[in-house]
Amino acid sequence: MAEAAAPLLEVKDLHKAFGGVHAVEGVSFTIEEGEAVAIVGDNGAGKSTLVKMISGAYRRDSGRVLWGGRDVPLNNPDDAQNLGIATMYQDLALVADLDAAGNIFLGREPMRRWLGLVPVLDRETMRTTSRQLLDRVKISLPSLDRPVRQLSGGQRQATAIGRFLLSDKARLIIMDEPTAALGVQEQRKVLGLIGRLTEQGITILVISHNLEHVFTVCQRIIVLRAGRIAGIVKTDEVDRQQVVSLIMGGTQ
Amino acid sequence: MVATSNSGGVGARPGIAAALNQINPLIFVIIGLYIVLIIGSDRFLAMTNQMNITRQAAVFLIIAIGQTFVISSRGIDLSVGSAVGFVGCLMATVIDAGVPVPLAILFAVALGMTIGAVNGLVITKLNVSPLIATLGMLVALRGATHLYMGSNTVTRLPESLKFLGQGFIGPVPMAALIALAMAIIGWWLFYHTKFGRYATSIGSNESAVGLVGINVDRQKIMIYMFQGACVGIAAAVLVGRLNAASPTLGLNYELHIIAGVVLGGTALYGGVGTIWGTVLGILTIGIVENGMVLIGADFHLQRVLIGILLVAAVAYQGFRRRRLGSGER
Repeated sequence: MAEAAAPLLEVKDLHKAFGGVHAVEGVSFTIEEGEAVAIVGDNGAGKSTLVKMISGAYRRDSGRVLWGGRDVPLNNPDDAQNLGIATMYQDLALVADLDAAGNIFLGREPMRRWLGLVPVLDRETMRTTSRQLLDRVKISLPSLDRPVRQLSGGQRQATAIGRFLLSDKARLIIMDEPTAALGVQEQRKVLGLIGRLTEQGITILVISHNLEHVFTVCQRIIVLRAGRIAGIVKTDEVDRQQVVSLIMGGTQ
Repeated sequence: MVATSNSGGVGARPGIAAALNQINPLIFVIIGLYIVLIIGSDRFLAMTNQMNITRQAAVFLIIAIGQTFVISSRGIDLSVGSAVGFVGCLMATVIDAGVPVPLAILFAVALGMTIGAVNGLVITKLNVSPLIATLGMLVALRGATHLYMGSNTVTRLPESLKFLGQGFIGPVPMAALIALAMAIIGWWLFYHTKFGRYATSIGSNESAVGLVGINVDRQKIMIYMFQGACVGIAAAVLVGRLNAASPTLGLNYELHIIAGVVLGGTALYGGVGTIWGTVLGILTIGIVENGMVLIGADFHLQRVLIGILLVAAVAYQGFRRRRLGSGER
């Protein structure tokens, strides 16, 4: 590729309004491949709207989105998925009565032939491939054939991530408050998981309210305030208080 | 190391309790019924009577296999009783008019699938709840059957059709063998194909299934069409067994069938289903009915008993669900 130097994702002057309310007004930033970037901001700052434009759930009113340096339309979730932008929904969109391997392969189940004749689901392949995928990011589930209903919150997140790893196309994973509903131990596991994903070269864009978590796993923070960029900072150059000030609008 | 954070306490279950949890509790109900009925009637355990139970249960079981898929997907098909009557009467009249039996059975299956397709389309495309859509179909088809048949009853059907319902291979009724074959096909579809997997997945979390790119509407329509195919086969066996088709054919079958499926352990709230449980559920009801007749109990008492069993089964499901699985849908 000639554009090796181009950032993975670049958005320029994004705008989105709902009726008369300007949710996002002229937001621009870049994300490099393999980075973990957080979007923070107060309620109503435009985080969700911004992320939904990138995941294709919302159509932007104006502005450009460049993927690897090329202009892309990004008008619907399929556009985003084809590019390699995967969104992890807050409810994880798992089938609770299905096991982890079944969830990872949902809609893409491999088949084999029983006695060379009768087509049956290839559970063995689903299980071994799932285990390999989860091994890659150093997750061990107690059992791959237990309904995910019985798994902990962190284990369910791992299952949802496994789904992205299977497609092998996911280059940017968007996570909306991945640690919100978890216990402390589970939170730590998910943070570790995000770190290992970036080691694998997968780029992470995460919305989080928890600055401690953001400072633990992200290299950069995009601070939104009232639909505009209040600042883009590197986590090793600022402290938490400075980010809080940006969020609240104390400095400027 | 992750295993330690298990919240439900399921992982720590000792072996015997775990094994017991795998066993369908209906087995114990059936064992209990056998003990009571063997003591209560000297004819109950006779081979002919045992085979009679399977023959009586066969038609219900064939339809219940399809209903297991429907209920697993969080749907319901109330129209199966009317449908088996409508399909049975039409099939009998075309046979009466000279159409060969194999062709007439194919026609019955196709007609059943068409009814299922209409149910599925109304539910998915017109967004009518399965309960109402199939209730409408129940009423409409029963009316259509009476309209079509008037006061007629088709009798004296060909030997080949009668063989399906009345015949024996060795000591085993042909009807029971057909039901067994349908149960095996149902088991394969349910546990080993995408069709069955998507049915329970839709029942568990429909939007998640749609998000991964599966066409949920199409899957649902296929589920109701499969139910219709089961109805078509059941119609052939039923008309063959009775050697007659009248407009009341299959009346109230839906209650019997849904009770058997739910009794077996398939969850009314979707997501969980069991073919093996459906076999046990239908057999349980068949044993109760058969045994009550032998004991000489009031006919209406068996319905009281089946009603109690059904409520107990649903209550047990809820209890098991609360104990085994925490978390959201």
